[in-house]
Amino acid sequence: MRAQRNVAVVGVGETGFRTHHADLTYVELAQQATLAALDHAGMTPDDIDAVVFSMAPTQFAGVNDSDKWAVDSIFGAGRPLMRINTGGATGGSAFQAGYSHIASGLYRTVLVVGADRVAETPDTQHILNLIWDRFYERDFALNTVTMTALAAQRYMSRYGAREEDFAEVVVRARRKAARNPNAHLKAATTVGEVMASPRVSWPHKRADICPRSSGAAAVVLCDEETARKSKRARPAWVNGCAAITHSVFMGDRVGFWSDTEFADHDGFVLAAQTAYRRAGVVDPAREIDVAEIYDPFSSFLFPQLESLGFCGRGAAACLHGEGAFDGDGGIVAANPSGGTLCTNPIGVTGLVRAADAALQIMGEAGAMQIKGARKAVATAIGGSTQFFTCIVLGDDSN
Amino acid sequence: MSKTEGSASADVIPGEWRIRYNYSVGKVAGAFFDGLRHGRILASHCSKSGLSYLPPRAYCERSFAPCDGWTEAGETGVIEAATIVTAAFEGLPPPPYAIAYVRLDNVSTAMLNFVRGLDLADVPAAAKRLEPGARVKVVFAERREGRVTDFHYELV
Amino acid sequence: MAVYVLGMAVHPPSSRIADKRLEEMVFDVSRAALDDAHVERNELEHVTIAGSDELDGRSIASMLLAMPAGAYLKDEIKCTDSGLTGLCLGAMRMTSGFGDLGVVVSWCKNSTSDFDNVTASRAEPFYLRPIGMNDAIANGLFANALTHDEGITEDEATASVLAYRANAARNPRAIPRPLASPQELRDGPYVAAPLRKGHQAPLTDGAAAFVLATEAWLAKHPGAAPYARIAGLGWSVDSYALGRTRLSALGSFRKSVDAALARADATLDDIDVVELDAQTGFHAAAYARALDGLACEPTAPSGGPFAQNPLFCTGLVHAAEAVLQVSGKAGPIQAPGARLALAHGCYGYAQQANAVALFAGV
Repeated sequence: MRAQRNVAVVGVGETGFRTHHADLTYVELAQQATLAALDHAGMTPDDIDAVVFSMAPTQFAGVNDSDKWAVDSIFGAGRPLMRINTGGATGGSAFQAGYSHIASGLYRTVLVVGADRVAETPDTQHILNLIWDRFYERDFALNTVTMTALAAQRYMSRYGAREEDFAEVVVRARRKAARNPNAHLKAATTVGEVMASPRVSWPHKRADICPRSSGAAAVVLCDEETARKSKRARPAWVNGCAAITHSVFMGDRVGFWSDTEFADHDGFVLAAQTAYRRAGVVDPAREIDVAEIYDPFSSFLFPQLESLGFCGRGAAACLHGEGAFDGDGGIVAANPSGGTLCTNPIGVTGLVRAADAALQIMGEAGAMQIKGARKAVATAIGGSTQFFTCIVLGDDSN
Repeated sequence: MSKTEGSASADVIPGEWRIRYNYSVGKVAGAFFDGLRHGRILASHCSKSGLSYLPPRAYCERSFAPCDGWTEAGETGVIEAATIVTAAFEGLPPPPYAIAYVRLDNVSTAMLNFVRGLDLADVPAAAKRLEPGARVKVVFAERREGRVTDFHYELV
Repeated sequence: MAVYVLGMAVHPPSSRIADKRLEEMVFDVSRAALDDAHVERNELEHVTIAGSDELDGRSIASMLLAMPAGAYLKDEIKCTDSGLTGLCLGAMRMTSGFGDLGVVVSWCKNSTSDFDNVTASRAEPFYLRPIGMNDAIANGLFANALTHDEGITEDEATASVLAYRANAARNPRAIPRPLASPQELRDGPYVAAPLRKGHQAPLTDGAAAFVLATEAWLAKHPGAAPYARIAGLGWSVDSYALGRTRLSALGSFRKSVDAALARADATLDDIDVVELDAQTGFHAAAYARALDGLACEPTAPSGGPFAQNPLFCTGLVHAAEAVLQVSGKAGPIQAPGARLALAHGCYGYAQQANAVALFAGV
């Protein structure tokens, strides 16, 4: 059965992202993003039919079921509300849940909102170690850093990519983030500086890794009738979205017997194909102008660009170094916002990717605007690089 | 806006949670840990898909049927992915140390464990020796407790 | 919304499922639901799971639990509110282009969770935590408000519990428990006055899974025999702040019921069976009063949470009971001729949030 309704993004709100918001509580942060998104959409809380809350592990912010606490601050009382949690992919999944509320024909206008305060606790990596299986994996110092290091090491071995290629990703991301008023890390850097930063888990060095960000984001989604009446002259239409989930056991995703290849961000290609099929995208490199990629580590960009069909396997590092992903008429503009390497408020990062992509389509990305952006893709990843979401946004409702 | 006069309260409230859990070991892990005590690594086998899994599990994700047998893993295997941890993380072993996913002979999937006996002083050089494809052997501890740390890998 | 229940399974309930890891429980119930629906996992187009990380004892529990729910290389999503919320989300995914065959799975293993500590950590740290709040205390406040505003007495709460437990005793799918005497309940200790221990439904371990199919899928599989059609869904959340009006008004419960009825184009007196999430005798009494206009008994024939209470997914278990009723498969507790059944779940402090599903016989 096809979607019953077309869905558009008509409002986007983001707070600035930084390590601490000393002056706001968690729920106040969520409120800021909500107010900004409503204002952007030209709406009031009364226009909202339902709410989807985006929040990943609550152990960082330190209040369980924080969505229930946030209800009053986001004007959710008396409304249908549900919270989505797919780890790092949460923001992308929450967006897709919001999409379902409308595309199913049940609701007309949905607020998707979330907040995170990753540095509220000093124990972040300890918490991230706790996501691993108590019996088989927790003893081995698996956390998100070491887990992704394993994939990066494998990618390098398969395709000949070097640490310097990943460092180049950081350099360009920071350059782009400098144009993003909300980004967390904006300071320019060089390959030399990245290479000299302290080693964490080979090949990752400190500068290859995202910050722990605090902040909030919200989008207002609505059906076609509401979108046409809204303040937005150019809503960002949800042309297609899809997700794929893989095994938690990374060891299942490598080697001869695996269906997919872990180093390639395996499985993600399936989500991309489905999202593209739903969006009617046939040749992504030609048709997609902007890609907001979920990249908390510098090693994430290349396999995702390849899985999204922008270039062949193993080719991204070289093309990236030549500027093919910087906008300016290259293959696609990757992370004009600076991406997740510069901003990672875990529970909402996926939503920020979609929000930044939406602003591009709306023509309202300010200094980050890629001229003539008509189609964009936004990704999010969670778990042991295990949950993948892919959202295609465009300037028409097809 | 100016600071309120005489506001002596802190701008943060500290908090700490200690939440306790008791995880049921279940049908499969018990047999695996027993095997470890006896110096054997047992992979769960699914006759429908023909796959043997480490870590062991009660069902096969691909055939979505219960695993119905055991395969003993070989004593050697191949590295699929590895890293050398050089940062200190709270609650984790002091660095430096190496971990790797190794696909042992007879087994379809790779399992994580420490790689020991390797000089880690020159990290990039050590990383090269741990490249995917490198062969390792299983080494069991003298005293075994029925935990995954009863064995580790060493380069062949 | 033409979505049907094609198959389902409820894990054999127990106060303590000691011999299985959580993912083994989830696999068993998901496998059973697929078998019940006579479909293979590779036919599924999407998976919707519902669980609480904190109760499961893992950050991002779905890392381990998505696969046993059948999600390997499938489009999978997780909500954290309740099992019945998962059913609502899964149903929406059915008609929004994610696919015509999907599964919804939820679970809860209370025997291995630090329940009081977990629910206490749902309190915000500034105003609630220094005083102390958890599920039981919130329910005590709820009971207190009901006493004053609705005149619900302890005796009435006790009588409700006894009625639910009597129903549970007749339900072959319930956890067997000796019947309690009114004296026992009355004399039991207070937990948070006026709520007594005996008023609370004990927490248990369990899981449930539903296979859903759209009308389009059924048209292509003429041999398939669905149990029921989802006639209506409604869910709502109330204010987090606990004040008297919020406690006794049952705002989100009423909204959820009304929304589900509106979608089903039905009224209260059309309903033949209600499976209510009466977590305490006070909940039971309050819901009964709120359902003014209900033609049938306001007591869950299955015994509701007093039959089994894997808290997070108790509402989904109630949905299974409701489906059994309208498909004529409820056995000794069958309400004769049941055609429309209501399943309800509540969650959050003092039923801050509620979800309702209406099932129609086919």
